[in-house]
Amino acid sequence: MLSFSLRRLFYSVLVIFGVVTVVFFIMNLLPDPARMMQGQRADLATQAAIRHQLGLDLPPLQRYLRFIGDVAQGDLGRSWSSNRPVLGSIMERFGATATLAIGAMTIATILGIGIGILSAVKSYTIFDNGTMLFALVGISVPAFVMGLLAMLLFGSVLDWFPVSGYMYQGDELHLEYLILPMCVLALRPISIIARVTRSSMLETLASDYVRTAKAKGVTWKSVVYRHALRNALNPVVTTVSAWLAGLLVGTYFIEYIFNWPGIGLQAVDAITRSDFPIIQGTVIFSAVIFVTVNFFVDILYSRMDPRVKLG
Amino acid sequence: MNPINQGSDVPHRLGKDEIDRRRHENESVLKQTPRSLWYYSWRRMKRNKLAMLGLGITFALILIAAGASFLAPFDPNSQVLEYSTEPSGFHGNILISKSEANPNQTIPIPIAECRVQGNRVIYTTSEGRDKSIALSRLAGNSEKDWHKTPTYYLGTDRYGRDVLSRLMYGARISLTVAFFAELCSLFIGVLIGSIAGFYRGVTDDVFMWFTNVVWSIPSLLLIIAISIALGLGMWQTIFAIGITEWVDMARIVRGQFFTLRETEYVEATKALGLSNKRTIFRHILPNSLGPIIVIATAGFANAIIYEASLSFLGLGVQPPTSTWGQMIHDGYGFIAAGSNWGLTLYPALAIMIAVFAFNLFGDGLRDAFDPKLKR
Repeated sequence: MLSFSLRRLFYSVLVIFGVVTVVFFIMNLLPDPARMMQGQRADLATQAAIRHQLGLDLPPLQRYLRFIGDVAQGDLGRSWSSNRPVLGSIMERFGATATLAIGAMTIATILGIGIGILSAVKSYTIFDNGTMLFALVGISVPAFVMGLLAMLLFGSVLDWFPVSGYMYQGDELHLEYLILPMCVLALRPISIIARVTRSSMLETLASDYVRTAKAKGVTWKSVVYRHALRNALNPVVTTVSAWLAGLLVGTYFIEYIFNWPGIGLQAVDAITRSDFPIIQGTVIFSAVIFVTVNFFVDILYSRMDPRVKLG
Repeated sequence: MNPINQGSDVPHRLGKDEIDRRRHENESVLKQTPRSLWYYSWRRMKRNKLAMLGLGITFALILIAAGASFLAPFDPNSQVLEYSTEPSGFHGNILISKSEANPNQTIPIPIAECRVQGNRVIYTTSEGRDKSIALSRLAGNSEKDWHKTPTYYLGTDRYGRDVLSRLMYGARISLTVAFFAELCSLFIGVLIGSIAGFYRGVTDDVFMWFTNVVWSIPSLLLIIAISIALGLGMWQTIFAIGITEWVDMARIVRGQFFTLRETEYVEATKALGLSNKRTIFRHILPNSLGPIIVIATAGFANAIIYEASLSFLGLGVQPPTSTWGQMIHDGYGFIAAGSNWGLTLYPALAIMIAVFAFNLFGDGLRDAFDPKLKR
């Protein structure tokens, strides 16, 4: 078990190393930072000074090693527009993103699994066909379209919720600002979790041991919840964790549309301002979160399901 | 019902007639031409009404995109600033005049009413002023040519451009980008997946490590970074989406190869001394086509979403070319003001319908290729 964890940990570090390398490579393809920072009319001396300050006058290999070293020490550079450390401003805003992501995933997990089980048990009925059609709609609508439509309906037409803004205004907490973005964000994972749960449950309900359980007279409820569900949950756990990781690292459009000050909104703002260090920092930070969540899921898996080989 | 394998249903002793009858039946079954996987999949698919609906909508969209230049009632970029943000079903009243600089170019003049007097046309502008113009300066010969009362079925945008025509031309961009992006990621995914799955060992470790690296980077940021690095435009968008979205494909293909390389027919190719290349492309790959097509359909739908998201941020295909995402971006400023919701709703619906239709079709394909899910 310990050696398995250590090996997974080493692999995770390797993946993050790969991400940092890819980021370094892409950032080198982007337009020259010295020109971007100073505008078109910067004089050559200033540009050279900036290049020297950023270490851009060094040979590529040396720059790469320096970059890896900086990232390993948690130094992601400074923002070009505010000149503040990138990691600091990401950490500052991560709370807002995490609130939204965890809230949405809580709703999505409960509703998604519930709907999935019901659909599987009542398979091929009107309920099943109806919810699965809705789930397909949920998958088909891009986040920003869903966000705008929700804003249009609940914000403008019905006027139930504020159109956009953050839940903390000064020190006051206004939870009504959280509801709309959280629900919109939950729709896609609900649909996907429901579909995965349903198909996994259908497969387990058709298996031999479920038939055996039924044959020996176990109640239907107990068959579904104690025998089938436990074994059907594996792919569901994968989906839930992948979505949690996915939402934690970026709910760009929902944050942008609802003006929610998380790391997603910060990244979109950085893109419009060509503030590359922020984008670069967000990518690396996201990859670390993503890999970390997946690392813990792998460990959880091997504890939960003895069929998973510790290889 | 297949009469060959009736197993325990066969009584112990059969009469001669019965034996003959069954033998005849068996032979007639064996004589039937064996049909391909495609035949049976298509037959299952045809029974699935929703999947056929999805296929129908997809075909309709392709037709609209291909024939936008004939079908669209207006030039998607021609502006009539007087008709800014008019509601759906608005009737225009337009004189078409020839441009003084270039007689081949026409300029629309919005009017309230007009009448012919001699060789001049007297008209009232939308602001209520009376003006006149020489007949020779108007396009065409008869009144039908230079006086038009077109209907803007879905209204106009801020610059007085017809929303319906822009939607039709937008379909062209959406489908083109999604198609080529998916083609690109199909190629990369199949290549990486089959090499990793076929050779296993260190090759597999390295390729899967790289796949995990790309998987760990948020797709949207990666797509944006690549398209900024390449400069914005349609082919850059296609390349950026294609080079990012191959991960699922690589994983599925690798899984297929893991299973299929243990089969007897692959062993037979080794015994026959076929090259690895031939085994991969002629024997294993064709047998994994089902899952590949299913993943490709899902990828196509996702590519439409990515294209729309990029152009919503202004990072996709650049104006004045109309794209759905950009139309939504131009329109959604009006939501807070509570007016002109159509400018957001129509392109939003277009995206939803396109992706939904494709997913319906993809789901139907998955069910059709997977005999286990037979209803």
